[in-house]
Amino acid sequence: MSQHAMLVDESRCIECKSCTVACKQENGLQTGDWWLRVWRREQLKDHLVRSYNTQSCRHCADPVCQFVCPVGAIQRGEDGIVIQDHENCLGCHVCVSACPHSGMKIMTNGKVGKCTLCSHRLERINEPACVTVCPVNSRVYGEREELLREANKRVAELRAKGMRVNLEGADKDQTAVMYLLVDM
Amino acid sequence: MGSFVRTRALTPSSKPIEHDEELRTSICCLCNGGCGIKISLDQEGKIKAVFGDSKNPYNKGKICAKPMEISQTLYGPYRVRYPMKKVNGTFERISWDEALDLIAQKYNQYITENGTGSIVGITSKIGGSYSKLAHSIFSELTGLVNYGTGPICTDSEANVRKKLFGDGSGTSPLSDVVNAKILLIVGNNVAQTKAGQFHWITEAKRTGTRVVVVDTRFTETAQAADLFIQIRPGTDTALGMALLNYVIKNNLYDPTFVAKHTNGFEKLAQDVSALTTERAAEITGVPQNVIEKLAQDLAVLKPGMLFEGRGIVCVNNAGASVWAFEGLMAILGNIGKPGSGIISHINNTGGISNLIKADDVMKPDRKRSSSALYKDMEEGDVKMLLISGNPCVTWPDSARMSKAIEGLDFVVSHTLVMDDSAVLADIILPATHWLEEAGAQASVHRVVQWKNKAVEIRGEEKSGGDFYRLLAERMGLPSSYFPDSPETAWELERKYNKNVAGISRERMLATPGGVHFPCSEVGEESVRLFAKGVFKTSSGKVELTGVSDSPLDYVDTFNAPGNIGVSREKFPYLFSTNKVASHYHTECQYSDWANEMEQPYVEMHPLTALEIGVGEGSQVRVETVAGSIVLAVKITQSVPRGFLSTQPYFGLQSPYGQAPANTLFPVAADPVGGNLVSKNIICNAKAEGGQGL
Ligand code: SF4
Repeated sequence: MSQHAMLVDESRCIECKSCTVACKQENGLQTGDWWLRVWRREQLKDHLVRSYNTQSCRHCADPVCQFVCPVGAIQRGEDGIVIQDHENCLGCHVCVSACPHSGMKIMTNGKVGKCTLCSHRLERINEPACVTVCPVNSRVYGEREELLREANKRVAELRAKGMRVNLEGADKDQTAVMYLLVDM
Repeated sequence: MGSFVRTRALTPSSKPIEHDEELRTSICCLCNGGCGIKISLDQEGKIKAVFGDSKNPYNKGKICAKPMEISQTLYGPYRVRYPMKKVNGTFERISWDEALDLIAQKYNQYITENGTGSIVGITSKIGGSYSKLAHSIFSELTGLVNYGTGPICTDSEANVRKKLFGDGSGTSPLSDVVNAKILLIVGNNVAQTKAGQFHWITEAKRTGTRVVVVDTRFTETAQAADLFIQIRPGTDTALGMALLNYVIKNNLYDPTFVAKHTNGFEKLAQDVSALTTERAAEITGVPQNVIEKLAQDLAVLKPGMLFEGRGIVCVNNAGASVWAFEGLMAILGNIGKPGSGIISHINNTGGISNLIKADDVMKPDRKRSSSALYKDMEEGDVKMLLISGNPCVTWPDSARMSKAIEGLDFVVSHTLVMDDSAVLADIILPATHWLEEAGAQASVHRVVQWKNKAVEIRGEEKSGGDFYRLLAERMGLPSSYFPDSPETAWELERKYNKNVAGISRERMLATPGGVHFPCSEVGEESVRLFAKGVFKTSSGKVELTGVSDSPLDYVDTFNAPGNIGVSREKFPYLFSTNKVASHYHTECQYSDWANEMEQPYVEMHPLTALEIGVGEGSQVRVETVAGSIVLAVKITQSVPRGFLSTQPYFGLQSPYGQAPANTLFPVAADPVGGNLVSKNIICNAKAEGGQGL
C-alpha cells in the first residue's frame, strides 16, 4: 500500500505563518488554541543563523502519547494518523509532557488537542490545510517514498552549500510528518 | 481521597469546517499581490472560510494569513454598520438621508464662504475601482483636494519614476522574475509583505535567477536570497550612486540603450563621479569589493530586475535613492525586455480623461503640500475634511494629526471600523469592505482582475461609489456623470481611459489571472511597459537627470529633513518601522487571529538592549522630537546595533490599544520625491516605569 506523508522543510520557511491561521480556520479552533505553531530561532555564529521551527503532531508510528494516555483516548489508525478523542480525554495532560515533539497542546478548555492531519479533509481535497496555503512549499503532502526522495535531494543540496541540516522521521522512529531541520 | 469524576469541558476546542461544493471566487485586495481567493459562506451568508484559488496562475492556491484573518473584521465589534452623528460627544444613529443632507449642506456652505480649498479629502482607503472612479468624478466637479496613499507611501517612488520614464507605475510584472538573471531587492521584505506571491522569487532563484537583497534588517527575504548585503540605514543612495559610478567608469553600461533611449547620461556621470566605491564603502558599511562585485554582476547578468520597497521609498532621502537605482537599471538597458525592469506595487491603470465637460470642472482654489496640510488645518484654513482611511494612525506625527482633525469645523469619516480617525468625526458613514463590493483590481503582475461581490452587506454600508454619487445629487451637482454600479463604472472607465479600453469584464473573468494593461480597444495586452523603447516623457527617452534641477546627490539621513539640526546626543538611536506577514496597514488589527498572531513590539539588538537596560518583553519608551510611545522589547540580532524598528499600523482605538508608531515621526518630507518621512528618525529609548534590568 502506498503510504502518505507530509514533509516540513524548515529551510524554505519564510515565517509568514499562513499555515497556523489556515489550521485554525480549517479546524475551527477557539481563540487562544493552536495545533500548529511557528517559532523563530536565531543564533549568532560567524554570521547570523536563523530558522523557523514549526511544531505540530508528527503522527509517530509508535506514539508515546497513546502509550501514556490513561483512558485510551489516543489511537493510531490504519492510515497512520494519530487521533485524540476529545470526548474521552480527561484533561490530565500526561501526553503533553510525554510528547517529544511538542505536538500535543493544552487547549483553553482544559483538555488537550492536536493536529489531525486534516483527516476530515483528506478525502476531498487530498492535503491538509496548512499544506494548501504554504506559499513556498515548506509544507508538502504526498506519497511517502516520493517525499523521501525529494527530501534527500534537498538535504544533499543544502549540505553542499555548507548548511547543516538533517532529516527527522524518515527511518526507524518513523513519523507521518517528516522534518527537514536546520541545525543551529 | 476517593475517586472523582471530572466534568467534561463545556465546549469542544475544535470544530472542523464542512466543505461545501460552492465557493465564491474573489481577488484579495490587501497588498496588491492580487491573489485569487475562494470564499466559503455559512448558512447565514457570512464568510466561513477563505481559501486560495488554485486556478489563479499567480498564486496557485497559495495565500498568506491576511485574507483568512480579514473575514473576522467584517463581523467584529469594531465594524461600523450605520451612519452616526456626534451629539454632545457621543454618536447617535441617523439615516443616510439625514447624513447626506447635512454633509451636502455643509459642503456647499464651505465652498461659498471659504472656497473649495477649505475642504480636503484624506482618502487612502477609498475602495475598489467603482469607488475610485466616483471619487475622482466628484473631485473634478467640486475641486476637492485629495491626499491618497501618496504622501504616506508612494509619492517619492511614483514622482521620481514618472520623471525618469514618464510613468509612475512599475514597468514590469513580478512574474517576469523567472526570466531575469538577477533580481536586486532593496529595502523590501516581500517574503512578509507579499507572502502569497513570494513563490515567484523562490521559483526564480531555483531556476537560476541570482537574488540579491540590500536591507538594514536581516529580513525573511534576505534569508531566502543568494546574497544579503546589510547596509547602514538611510545610506542606500550612496550605494546606488557608487554602482552607477562604477558601471559608468568601467564601461559596463549598455551603450546602445544609453545612446538611443536616454538623455542626460553625461550629467548623471558627473553627478556620481565623486561617489567612488571606496567612499560608498565608508558611508554604507558595505565592503568595497562587495559593491564592485555587485556592479559587475549587474553588468553581466542580464536581463536584470529591481524591486524597491518602503524601506527606501519612505525615508528622508528616498527620492535620490530611487533615482540612483532606477537610473542604474536604465543605463544597464534593463528596461522593456522580458526579465528586466522595475517591479513595484504601484500599478496604476491611469485615470479617466475628458469625461467631465470643461464647464462642469471646478478647480481647487488653493493647493498645499502634504506637510503644509497640518498647519492649514491647525490655522483654520481647512474647514471640512472627508476621511476614508485612518490618518490619525498612518500619517506622521499622528498625535498632531489627531489634534488638527479635532480642531476642524466638520469632519466626515467613511469607514469600515470605528478607528482612531472615525472617533474624531462629526459624521460617521459605514463603508463596504472589498469583499462586499465588485470591481477591477490591479496587481503587482501588471494585470487587472475582476472580482464580483463575494458577500452581502449586513447593515447599511455603502461603497464610496454610491456615497459620492448620492452626495453629488444632494449638492446639486450634475450627477449624471456618475456610474451607478461597479459594472457601469468599469464600462465608463474603458470608454475614457484608453489603457483599459480593451479589457472587458467578460475578458477578465474568462482569463485566469486577468488581463495585462495597457490594453487598448484594438491593441494587444502589454505585459511590460516600454517594450518598444519609447518612453512616456516628452522626449520619448529616459530622462536620467530629469528628476530635479539639482544634481543627484547623497544626503546623509542625519542631515536630511526630520533629523537635521536635532541633537544626536539626546537622540542617539535610529527608529524605523516595518510590516509583518500577519498585518496589513491598519485593517487587519481588528481580527482576532491577527491579534493572536502578533502583538506590537520593537526590535532591538542585544547590545542596544543592554545599553538601555531592558530585557526581552520589557517595556521601553521610545522618544523622538515628535513624541514618545511605549513598546515591548523584542531582542534580535536581525537589526543592527542602535537601530529600532516596530510595526506602523496599530492604533489606540483597536483591540491593541497601542499608540501609533507614526506619531514618532515629525512632519518632514523627502526633498526630492515628496514623500512624508516614516522611517529612520533619530530617537532615544529608555526602560519604562523602573522596569530596567
Ligand atoms: S500575498 Fe497579498 S494579495 Fe496575496 S493573499 Fe496575502 S495580502 Fe492577499
